Amino acid sequence: MRNFAYQRAGNVTQAYTLHGNDNSADFIAGGTNLIDMVKLDIMRPERLVDVNLLPLTEIEELDDGRLKIGALVTNTDLAYDERVTTRYPVLSEALLAGASTQLRNVATTAGNVMQRTRCPYFRNPSRPCNKREPGSGCGALDGINRNHAVLGGSDKCIAVHPSDMCVGMQALGATITVEGPDGPREIPFEEYHLLPGDTPEREHDLRDGELITHVTLDAPIEGAKSHYLKLRDRMSFEFALASCAAVVALDGDTIREARIALGGIATKPWRSHEAEAALKGKPATEATFQQAAEAALAGAVPHRDAAFKIPLAKQAIVRALSTVTR
Amino acid sequence: MADKDDKRPDHDDQGKGRARGVEIHDARAPSRRNFLKSVGATSLAAATAPAWARVGYVNHDEQEPQDKRADEGEAPAKGTQRITLNVNGQAHTLDVTPNMVLLDVLRHQLALTGTKKGCDIGQCGACTVHVNGVSINSCLSLAVMHDGDEVTTVEGLGQNGKLHPIQQAFLDHDAYQCGYCTPGQMMSAVAILNDAEVASDDAAVREAMSGNICRCGAYKNILSAIQTARKNV
Amino acid sequence: MTETIIGHRTTRVDGELKLTGKADYTSDHNLPNQAYGYPVPSTIACGKLLELDIDEARQAPGVIEIVHRGNFPQLQPSDNNPACGTAARLYRSPSTMAEQNKVGEVRLPFEDDGIHYEGQYIALVVADTFEHARAAARLVKARYEVHEAVPGLFSTDDEGEEAGDEAVSRGDPAGAYETAPVKLDQTYTIAMETHMAMEMHASIATWEDDRLTIYESTQGVVFQRNALAQIFGIPPEKVTVIAHYIGSGFGSKLFMWPHAVMTAVASRMVGRPVKTVLSRQQNFCNAGNRPASRQHVRMAADRDGKLLSIRHDSQNETSFIDSYTESIGSGTPRAYACDNVSVSQRRVQVNHGTPTSMRAPGEVSGSVALEIAMDELAIELGMDPLELRRKNFAERDPTADLPWSGNHLRECWDDASRRFGWEKRNPEIGSMRDGHEIIGWGMADATWEAMRSHCKARVELRADGKVQVACGTQDIGTGTYTIVAQTAAELTGVPLSRIEVKLGDSMLPAGPLSGGSMATATVLPAVAGATRDVIEQLKQIAIADGAPFAGKEADSLEFKNGELSDGSRSVSFVDILNAVPRGMVEGEASAAPGDEQDKFSFRSFGAHFVEIRWDPGISRLRVSRVVSTIDIGRAINPLTAKNQVEGAIVMGMGMGMFEETEYDPAGNIYNNNYADYVVPVHADIPDIEVELLDNPDYNFNEFGARGVGEIGITGMAAAISNAVYHATGKRIRDMPIKIADLID
Repeated sequence: MRNFAYQRAGNVTQAYTLHGNDNSADFIAGGTNLIDMVKLDIMRPERLVDVNLLPLTEIEELDDGRLKIGALVTNTDLAYDERVTTRYPVLSEALLAGASTQLRNVATTAGNVMQRTRCPYFRNPSRPCNKREPGSGCGALDGINRNHAVLGGSDKCIAVHPSDMCVGMQALGATITVEGPDGPREIPFEEYHLLPGDTPEREHDLRDGELITHVTLDAPIEGAKSHYLKLRDRMSFEFALASCAAVVALDGDTIREARIALGGIATKPWRSHEAEAALKGKPATEATFQQAAEAALAGAVPHRDAAFKIPLAKQAIVRALSTVTR
Repeated sequence: MADKDDKRPDHDDQGKGRARGVEIHDARAPSRRNFLKSVGATSLAAATAPAWARVGYVNHDEQEPQDKRADEGEAPAKGTQRITLNVNGQAHTLDVTPNMVLLDVLRHQLALTGTKKGCDIGQCGACTVHVNGVSINSCLSLAVMHDGDEVTTVEGLGQNGKLHPIQQAFLDHDAYQCGYCTPGQMMSAVAILNDAEVASDDAAVREAMSGNICRCGAYKNILSAIQTARKNV
Repeated sequence: MTETIIGHRTTRVDGELKLTGKADYTSDHNLPNQAYGYPVPSTIACGKLLELDIDEARQAPGVIEIVHRGNFPQLQPSDNNPACGTAARLYRSPSTMAEQNKVGEVRLPFEDDGIHYEGQYIALVVADTFEHARAAARLVKARYEVHEAVPGLFSTDDEGEEAGDEAVSRGDPAGAYETAPVKLDQTYTIAMETHMAMEMHASIATWEDDRLTIYESTQGVVFQRNALAQIFGIPPEKVTVIAHYIGSGFGSKLFMWPHAVMTAVASRMVGRPVKTVLSRQQNFCNAGNRPASRQHVRMAADRDGKLLSIRHDSQNETSFIDSYTESIGSGTPRAYACDNVSVSQRRVQVNHGTPTSMRAPGEVSGSVALEIAMDELAIELGMDPLELRRKNFAERDPTADLPWSGNHLRECWDDASRRFGWEKRNPEIGSMRDGHEIIGWGMADATWEAMRSHCKARVELRADGKVQVACGTQDIGTGTYTIVAQTAAELTGVPLSRIEVKLGDSMLPAGPLSGGSMATATVLPAVAGATRDVIEQLKQIAIADGAPFAGKEADSLEFKNGELSDGSRSVSFVDILNAVPRGMVEGEASAAPGDEQDKFSFRSFGAHFVEIRWDPGISRLRVSRVVSTIDIGRAINPLTAKNQVEGAIVMGMGMGMFEETEYDPAGNIYNNNYADYVVPVHADIPDIEVELLDNPDYNFNEFGARGVGEIGITGMAAAISNAVYHATGKRIRDMPIKIADLID
């Protein structure tokens, strides 16, 4: 691990001032992802700005029913928060399906939003990777791509966004608040992560020097139930091969409202409006769920090793919906 | 040792002290699991007494803990920052570069080699320690971010020469083979047993322990040991 | 002896050290003035190193030296390499088992400019701190000439080279196959696996004049001592290898790898101790693997299930710099009664690091094909798979034409099948269901050859009441410290708390490798011999003039509970030794296999019964129950022995369901870490119920023990695959079984 300078910020203004719109600087909170990548030599910050002293550790219920989560709330604290377990169980399930106890104890909400891909080509500095080194090529497209995306990829990049938490948030609907020299601004969660397209190095809509201060969940959908289902090789401590966050509200046997988000198969936390459209107003039956699953994966690209993830993701959708409507 | 607060710039002193960083007191409310409490490490001046200089497990190679510079009252060397780590009830003041990782500082500077390195990137759990009562992977944590923190390692589990109940249970159940992942397994186990959020059934314990890999595959006995120790913790 | 300690569940004598963090593994040592080495690996799989740019790294903070081809001692002094010092000349180790100097990779580090696999070392940065060494290693730049790599066995048409000494043939397998009524002809593959011992490979080397001391995470201190002596051209007495505790090895630490040589050279160059700990990623490329393999099995039987022919032809990967043979079919000729059998093995060169032994090398791979093939044959015959095996039980070793010393496979079948409830199995595919899940039941045999080697040991009785046992073997986590202590306690009657065991140091009387399940059977007879010897020495002291039993015959004295007795009077050895100037007495012994090897065939057997659950709706496969009965002769310590079998079962689950070291089409490793190379975690662990039969094999050694480390993994992957077939109707012949193989 190369060396770097280290600074500690005490408030948000200080944080972005210290960062100074300097692309050789990075913020560090829990550090579980950043230090990993610095050790791998795939991120080489010259300066780290420690944001752990920022007053962003609160979870606050807003008057309009939304839940405002401080950037520094740990994954563990968020997963076990009573407001989350009761009103947003899908988020709690998603968080607890991710990583390990020790990592969740340290990883923060904003850090998880900023989590970078696990693509082994990205994570090895001697491999070609357009995300890490624009123009160097994509090792995965012609290489091993079992862990890669079938949705949202481009001819430049098929790296999967690895977060479980973000899939839960994507289904619930949320707003990301960022703050920087130009003041605070809000970004809908769905617009925050960017598709790779021709610029896979651009992963999110965060401007230089800005940092995330909060993630605010939309008010829960009245009467909705939710579930997060994660499928992987082993039973725990592994990134998703396919996962599904389902939020469904029924009127009798008819689906009034549905949110479907997918993980492990897409280049960003994937909200499937196609699946949601296929569900709304339909009876909550296996046939409907199958149609939704087909709709969600209609545009999927079956890369050599990842082709199985298309049927796997469909299964995740159908089972998650069956569970939540049971 | 200078009083800790002396080297802290004032609240508004932002932008200064790039080399040493900017340390700000902050009144944020404590989080249940907030271990990153870099504030609140009050006077540890007493800890500079010579008694701690050689404490901790020093193996038979007689390595000295490398915190002598601070002990002798010198200013931190260029590029280093002075931190105090409270490890197993003993305060250690030492100078670290920003890229020094907690695990390496424990093992190299403090000769506390009970905490093991198995992957160095948070994928195996061998390096698990408690920081302010919470289990973390010490390989993914910068030492400089733990100024004032309370760290417990496997060397601090037992008290007064007596095995901690988890250690006794691991012994009785043969919950290890090579023993290399064992300190991490036990540190995770103790944290889980103290965590009301983790249910007591086998499946819940297995899930919560899954960040600790045992390549010898002594998982069955580890589970038995944890469930036995549950009665004594 | 008032109680029997051997055969009892004894908690580990080194347990407290391991549980308090005091057990000293290699990297726990920090020598005074120690520098840190950090290797720089090649980033290409095949080609030439054209240029190494170390200027920037050399200028980095704390860097002391950069060891590389330009300044490394050469195998042959070379005119175009003036940096090569005259004193610095290295030799290759002969690398033989017989001379106990086998190494993992014969090529010396930096021996030529060829790059033969990704991860091959191109430099070692030595700096004052770990942080400095690691940071500077990132600054070393290399320019390569890249050649097209052979990325693996499954992407080459090369048939490979025949390993002639592996060939076995009896009867007329081809002829018998042609005329047989029931036939099977299938190909099976196993992906490359990596040992992934929790403790990473590490060396700390230090020189005192021409004496080398090296702390190494090794399964063979004596082998490594001998190999280093050969490489540096110095007598073995001048090399000390220390491995008090080893974070296991599973074979990867049996034979020395280049990092140890590189570290020893670096220490000599910089004149101070150097510690090199391989990163987890480097452990994948430079320290062995279970090679990928392909097996072609042709098998035939009559309508009653009697085996008529088995042909088992295998290929394994090897590197371009060593010829590694995986003896895949070695268990096949002995597994079942069959008159017509042939086995062959070929090696195919690929651009990977050299393979090495990994838990149950050869046989576990062979058991995948053979035991799945038996299941397939049973289906073909409409027979119960267990019944087919019973029909072909080998009453004696068909290859050696010797009686088994102890073959209790039938007892294993009976016991395990009863405890599992096998008779309730509905053979119809997918017939057993529980909610979303389909339950599959499968079984397979387990087997491993019992081996024994040479060993010396020393036992000291001391006036402080301690008994010290010393042997130059090591405890890799199997419990060797404990069973050695048990043996000494058993024979002296001195309690375990007063027995000290010293292992893991090549200066001790030469002991065996910790591998091949042979340490127990090899070490304990030597320990027993040395214990008896020291008791004899004690008696001689006790009957000398002025001693407590002066004038008595030594033979008239009995030693028990730590006391010598003539029948009327007992004197403790402490009192006897307090009266002698040295205050101690020592005994030594050597032990080796004898002519029993010509009379019996020694082999352990067992059976695994596995329940899997397959949820087709979400393509989730998990093992839910394993019931195994294993006969290993006598278990010296059933607590630690059972633990080993349980652990091997877990590793067998990994082999069957998860583990696959992947190389991409460029020959570059894809998953060199604990997240991407999937091994079982706590949440994967099923109910595991292991029983060890207690049938001491006294033909093999006086303790009746045959060893236990390997057998538990054999057959496991096959049993899982057979259970998967029972649940899904999908016959998976390629390990590991992946979701993609099963998804509908």
